[in-house]
Amino acid sequence: MPLKSPLTRRLLASVLPVSMLLGIGSGAALSNPLIGQNMNSYGLPGGIDTPTAEMLPDGTLGATLSYSDLARRNTVVFQALPRLTVALRYARVNTDPEQGGDRRGYVWDRSFDLRYQFLDEDENGWRPAMAVGLQDMMGTGIFSAEYIVATKTITPRLRVSAGLGWGRLATTGDIGSTFGSRPAPDDGLGGKPNYKEWFRGDVAPFVSATWQATDRLNVTAEYSGDNYACETGLTEDCRRREWRSDGDELKNKLNFGFTYRMGQHYQLGGYLLGGKQAGLQFSVAMNPRDAAYPSGLESGPAPVRPRPAPSADPEGWSGAWASDPTAQPAIQKALGDALAKEGQTLESMALSANRAEVRIRNTRHIQQAEAIGRTARLMTRALPPSVETLVITSSEDGLPTSSVTLRRSDVERLENTEAGQIANAATLTDANPRPGDLVYTPGLYPNFRWALQPYFSSSLFDPDDPFRYEIGAEARLRYEITPGLLISGTVRQRVLGTTKQEGPSGMSPEDYLKDGRDIDPRTGVPRVRSDSRMYAGNKSPTIPELTLNWYAKPSEAVYTRATVGLLERTYGGVSGEVLWYPVNSPLAIGAEINHVKKRDFRNAFEFRDYEVTTGHVSAYYELGNGFLAQIDAGKYLAGDVGATVTISREFANGWQLGAWVTKTDMSDSDFGEGSYDKGVNISIPLAWGTGDPSLRRVGGSIRSLSRDGGSRVRVGGRLYETVRDSHSGTLYQGWGKFWR
Amino acid sequence: MMGKFTRGACALAALSLLAACGNDRSQQSASPLGILGQVASQAIAERNAEPAAAPRSPSDIAAEALSVNPGPLILVGLESMGTTQAMAMTGQNGDMRTYMTPNEQALILRNGMLSGTRGLGNDLSVAEAAQSAALIRAGRSGQAQRTMRYYTGDGLERPLPMTCTIGPGPNAGVMVESCEGLGASFQNNYMVSGGQITVSRQWIGPALGYVTIQTLRP
Repeated sequence: MPLKSPLTRRLLASVLPVSMLLGIGSGAALSNPLIGQNMNSYGLPGGIDTPTAEMLPDGTLGATLSYSDLARRNTVVFQALPRLTVALRYARVNTDPEQGGDRRGYVWDRSFDLRYQFLDEDENGWRPAMAVGLQDMMGTGIFSAEYIVATKTITPRLRVSAGLGWGRLATTGDIGSTFGSRPAPDDGLGGKPNYKEWFRGDVAPFVSATWQATDRLNVTAEYSGDNYACETGLTEDCRRREWRSDGDELKNKLNFGFTYRMGQHYQLGGYLLGGKQAGLQFSVAMNPRDAAYPSGLESGPAPVRPRPAPSADPEGWSGAWASDPTAQPAIQKALGDALAKEGQTLESMALSANRAEVRIRNTRHIQQAEAIGRTARLMTRALPPSVETLVITSSEDGLPTSSVTLRRSDVERLENTEAGQIANAATLTDANPRPGDLVYTPGLYPNFRWALQPYFSSSLFDPDDPFRYEIGAEARLRYEITPGLLISGTVRQRVLGTTKQEGPSGMSPEDYLKDGRDIDPRTGVPRVRSDSRMYAGNKSPTIPELTLNWYAKPSEAVYTRATVGLLERTYGGVSGEVLWYPVNSPLAIGAEINHVKKRDFRNAFEFRDYEVTTGHVSAYYELGNGFLAQIDAGKYLAGDVGATVTISREFANGWQLGAWVTKTDMSDSDFGEGSYDKGVNISIPLAWGTGDPSLRRVGGSIRSLSRDGGSRVRVGGRLYETVRDSHSGTLYQGWGKFWR
Repeated sequence: MMGKFTRGACALAALSLLAACGNDRSQQSASPLGILGQVASQAIAERNAEPAAAPRSPSDIAAEALSVNPGPLILVGLESMGTTQAMAMTGQNGDMRTYMTPNEQALILRNGMLSGTRGLGNDLSVAEAAQSAALIRAGRSGQAQRTMRYYTGDGLERPLPMTCTIGPGPNAGVMVESCEGLGASFQNNYMVSGGQITVSRQWIGPALGYVTIQTLRP
């Protein structure tokens, strides 16, 4: 089996660093990146305003709120690779209209940072850890700075960092300059790497030292070349007039601060900048490896029941029972009931004297292998002894995806051994779309499911009101007529909130309705998303979606979907999709075509005049180690043509973090602020936090402003996400829970 | 302002009453509000929980279990949680036995050696300790390798390899296994009679610590 060797490699996870198991902070192992504990005011490991060469533990997701009179910075940080930190920031900077600053008296600025640790610390020698970083590397760049920094652990309690900074880190105290003078900040649409500025112009040194006073308290002192020139009205050092404000000038270049750790996840800090300006900050950090209940709290599985000796049950071993027409219904009933208690639905079953196939729908476990492992054990308890071949086929929304074939004697022999052993004894194949002998479990269809629950929705990043929310009640309905054919819908009733109906570009809803053309008059671009607030603030019941969906599997590796109805809040119409995805392939290829009409702003079943056909060809590729790349190329909602590239990192426990960019033939100026569409997705399984098994997730996307370029129809139930949990990549990544 | 806030709070309370209606748990989206509601209702449930009944003595627990259950039974004390429970055998596969509590938390033993736990939140997936087991049951001294495998928070099963020294303890009939590896260490004690482990104190893992296991009915 050619699969074995990469599979074995994947399953033989690295030896457990005991520090992780014991919950100690950083490991003593060599060639690990240097891990920092102190967050700076930019939300990365560091001093106060200055960076260090430190990283966070791999996979850490954190957030820092750092507020002073001069700036409010809200940063989300992610340790994307062991030596690569990325950060997204949404910061409010005071400006003074009288000094030429923004008319509001402040500006909200998004920024993006990268830091790479290129040299590990030699703990026994002199060599420090070293890192290079780009701060606020895109767009207008109010915080733009670049740095090279070295960090050395002097004593177990004292760390010292020193580096050279450009841009904001060299506002004063420069010791020279590199590559000529630094060009003026981009005052255009923003959103693009401002690489022309990187490592150019004045360069200044910075130094910081952090002393661990107690297990919880760190104190930090630093020398920084950032004197907050714009924020304190130092015109000659401020790089843009529009950023100027009138804060009190700093007295010197020294900053002092402390951080206090509360538990494993929280950190509270305070600092004094230049002897003048005080600030407070709060950080939270989570790591996918630090689950409260790593193995989950779900009950133990029913153990394997080994078969009796042939002499003890000659009839069962002979297979004669298979000719009894009452045998299968009785066994299917018993197995179906047992599976239902485990959160699995037994959709159908085929049974012969020596082979049994069950088709199960997992509604409980994030890791499909756990559902399969529990099903295999229940099969050993329900099936007569002559059945030796066990086939467990995963079904997703009525689509049979993959089949795991096990020998019953292997299940008996390998129960509760290392999960890699049963993985090597199992065979994973594409599920047969139409086996002749499957018998559906009676009484499953039609199936009506519903849920009534509260909902919460928020919208961020409006400069006038950066946080808007809506709370209400939501009914979700799902009527499955036959496997693969279902109606699903949501009805919402708002109860309270701050979202309200608004027209685009500052127009009132009435003016916008009167205009009625749904086109941006400045650029002639159809308003496909930029008027999304026209849909907000509806106090009557709304129907965000109501669709008829038909899933099918015409051949072993091909899946199809057809969706008709109100696809999303803004569009209704028809959507068709086909996906080629063999179960053992890291590559999947799909195509989607949609014909949609824009929905009315208020009335659920009425439409506006805008009508468009969009379509995409998509390629999905598993890069290994939990990384996934996706490219979608095609025509977007505003008629623009281009491509979206998405890179995601996924953990076996279900954590998913991804980032995407879309570039189309729409010009940057037609697109508007941000130049092109980009954003990040975060999705964390609820079970990771609570320990209770569930498929539910929390998360969402953070995207740049809703713009009209590079936007797609948001159809639910896209095929790749629907079927991939039981395909080889994700299934084997989570195989460790087979015997859980 | 005050009035508005109060009204909001009432609406919130009404909404959280709505939480988790329906026949479809899997479909319910986990909105942050829903989670808050869950956390709150858990906290409320904890507050309202009946004060725990006066702790019963292990011998009472054992006597009751023996009278109710006709099959093999063990008495299990989890030191880190301070709990003692009787567990009944729910499955036997060769020399491996699975014992469960009424709420389906499980302990897996191979010939009396702890081989795994299920449903405790920080479960031991599998302990590969065949070398140790052979020495202990034979009452012989020696060195052995064992591997403990754990479910880790990132969803994997990861090994913790250990090196063990086995020998008789200070008390007659008690074998001691001292293991060390990757910065972790533990010392298991086994009382062996007739080649069977009847009473033992064994290490589950860093989070759960030690468990004492006593055979009530073999």
